[in-house]
Amino acid sequence: MVLPISNSVLSRVLACLAVALLLAPTLSAQAPLQRFHQSHPAMGTIWTIDLYAPDQPTAEQQLTAAFDEIDRIEDLLSNYKPTSELSRISRDAGQAPTVTDPETFAFLQRSLYWSRVSHGAFDISVGPLLRAWGFIFHQGHVPAQAELDALQPTIGWQHIQLDPAARTVFFTHHHAMELDPGSIGKGFAVDSVVALLRAQGVTSAFISAGGSTFYAIGTIPGKSGWPAEVPDPLHHGQVAATLQLRDTSMSTGACTQKFFLYQGHRYCHIFDPIAMRPVEGVLQSTVIDPSATDSDALSTIVFVLPAAATRRLLHTMPQVQSLVFRQPTAGASEPCSAVNWSGNPCASSALETPGAHTP
Amino acid sequence: MMDRRSFMHGLSAAAIAISANAQSLTGADAEAARQIAPSHDATPLRLGIIGPGSRGKELARSFLRVPGVRITAAADVYAPRFAELNQVCGYEVASHADYRALLDRKDVDAVIVATPLGLHGEQVLAALQAEKHVYGEKTMAFTLDQSAKIVQAATATPRIFQVGHQYRYSPWIRAALARVHQGEIGDVTHIIGYWHRNNSWRRPVPQPSLERLINWRLYNQWSLGLLAELGSHHMDIANWTFGATPTAALASGSICTYHDGRETDDNVQAVLSYPGGKRFIFSSVTDNSQLGDQLWLYGTKGSLNLTLQDATFYYEPRQVTRVDPNHNGAAVTSASYQASGEMPYRGPGHSVEVTTAEDPTTAATRAFIYCCRTGTHPIADVHVGYGSALCVIQSNQARLDRREVAVPPAL
Repeated sequence: MVLPISNSVLSRVLACLAVALLLAPTLSAQAPLQRFHQSHPAMGTIWTIDLYAPDQPTAEQQLTAAFDEIDRIEDLLSNYKPTSELSRISRDAGQAPTVTDPETFAFLQRSLYWSRVSHGAFDISVGPLLRAWGFIFHQGHVPAQAELDALQPTIGWQHIQLDPAARTVFFTHHHAMELDPGSIGKGFAVDSVVALLRAQGVTSAFISAGGSTFYAIGTIPGKSGWPAEVPDPLHHGQVAATLQLRDTSMSTGACTQKFFLYQGHRYCHIFDPIAMRPVEGVLQSTVIDPSATDSDALSTIVFVLPAAATRRLLHTMPQVQSLVFRQPTAGASEPCSAVNWSGNPCASSALETPGAHTP
Repeated sequence: MMDRRSFMHGLSAAAIAISANAQSLTGADAEAARQIAPSHDATPLRLGIIGPGSRGKELARSFLRVPGVRITAAADVYAPRFAELNQVCGYEVASHADYRALLDRKDVDAVIVATPLGLHGEQVLAALQAEKHVYGEKTMAFTLDQSAKIVQAATATPRIFQVGHQYRYSPWIRAALARVHQGEIGDVTHIIGYWHRNNSWRRPVPQPSLERLINWRLYNQWSLGLLAELGSHHMDIANWTFGATPTAALASGSICTYHDGRETDDNVQAVLSYPGGKRFIFSSVTDNSQLGDQLWLYGTKGSLNLTLQDATFYYEPRQVTRVDPNHNGAAVTSASYQASGEMPYRGPGHSVEVTTAEDPTTAATRAFIYCCRTGTHPIADVHVGYGSALCVIQSNQARLDRREVAVPPAL
């Protein structure tokens, strides 16, 4: 029996923001800027932006421009829209090298960069896998191995060839592909919106892409940042980390929001592209990085990779903070693993499994 | 139109379908299919862009998806646009404060005109005179006189002039209108176009002195308001559907919500009269987005809904049916009242299926480059542009005069 379940693991983070919203009148009384908030549906979720502006007309113009930009990126990258540039590439690049615009090309370059350095843990070509497992139509099911075997020749980031000189994309296996920006597209859009808002002179804003990717521009006036919390999925109702984000992004991947149950087993929408199966035993990953594009991609990568491989990958990336929770019962040696993370978010987990977390 | 989540099923057949379609279609549809088909011709073609603002940059992105295209020069009176364009292109584009310097360049084969409407006429004419191919944004020109001069200039030159009515290149709109022209919904007598938004249409301005430059759409100096910026696309589709331009225009408008110093109305309504008593009705409001951007074509046998992403047919209940001569059943008396008889139909329609539901601007820009390289006459040619300009300019005159005004014949 398939049971689609929606359960907001990030609600605590949003609740924290709501508290900050309640404080807004007090802040605005002390500062010339006032706080404004607006939400907007895009990319299959609800985006929200909080920003400080001198007056409502200015805020409305800035927010309209910001949401227009999000819609523009969705029109560019959505794999649900046949009119998108990414869909055009998916259709055409198996036939011949396909020229695209510099923005889309940069998006693909960054996507393939993360595929390369993660040795395939991140892969935007997994669209057919999501379809085979029923995540596209919310009809989750476990496909036969033969079905997966048949898909194998058509997917794989290594088949995507980019030529920077000609700005072309070519699928070397001569098949159409289904490029899925789901693990990086929202972060890419967040970075675009941040650049746009900064260009408009916005110095204090908080962008949320459905709760899975945040970006904080500056700070709440008079504060050290924008507050955000990372829930502890091992201890319901508890918070693993409280942060003040400032000029950085935070992205979270979790299996608690999008999954299906089959014969009592939970299948997660985050895939191990190499195994061609949903990732098992991981509850939540959170990554902080100045680039929302990168934190979005990395939140998937650290979700897919074993803890040791994550540490090896992030060893040369000191600006990246990573926090991953795994099911203690799934044979994981580290129910909570933090890399480069400020503070001690694994403290409560460590009490139960001594030595489990890394500093 | 295929479901947004299932279109990928047709991916592998898409390229084959394009060439197959191009061979099986006839006339204008076959020509459109040829022009928008993916091209691997990378013969260098150098573009200059006059007005790399929001629309200009979007056009630049689309043109950069065509093999062999490079944007070599730009002209704008607002200097920050150059850096923005460089970011779009990924390289430095030569910049000019005066568009005439761009037209003097020998390394510009074709020119994009994406400036405020009030400047289109002068700049398009100058570009054609400079023997450049021209992609001119809609509306084609600000006045009928300028529009007529562009027709004259474009027809007298071997250079290509294509107007930015990109919906002429939309696969689903082309497929749907082909069926309409074959009689699928009978005689189309009325078209209603809505373009409803819920925002002020105002752009952020870094300093007050730039208000009229950046928010030019809100001021009469260079703008014909919502009728031009939004209505021109729908009016073009009405012309296309009816195969004619209107004979008369009525229009009205007001400033209802945004009392912020703007001069152009924040809501407009227009009625265009076509031969045979047919009508196109246009409505644009900026304080409610429930209806969005859509057209309804009403025919004697059915209706067609067109949007930015799809096309859907609905069919009228049959009014006359042939009765089986052996039918001898007795009539059963009952109450005559049927509550649902004149309720709006709320059921599903019949989507128009296309294999390549491509972005219309991407398709239109690729078609323009194809025409420049091959000397082929564009689908959205100067006459298409003139027809739409007639509708916009005369509707606006009717709005100003508060009376019905005649629309001159097409050229």
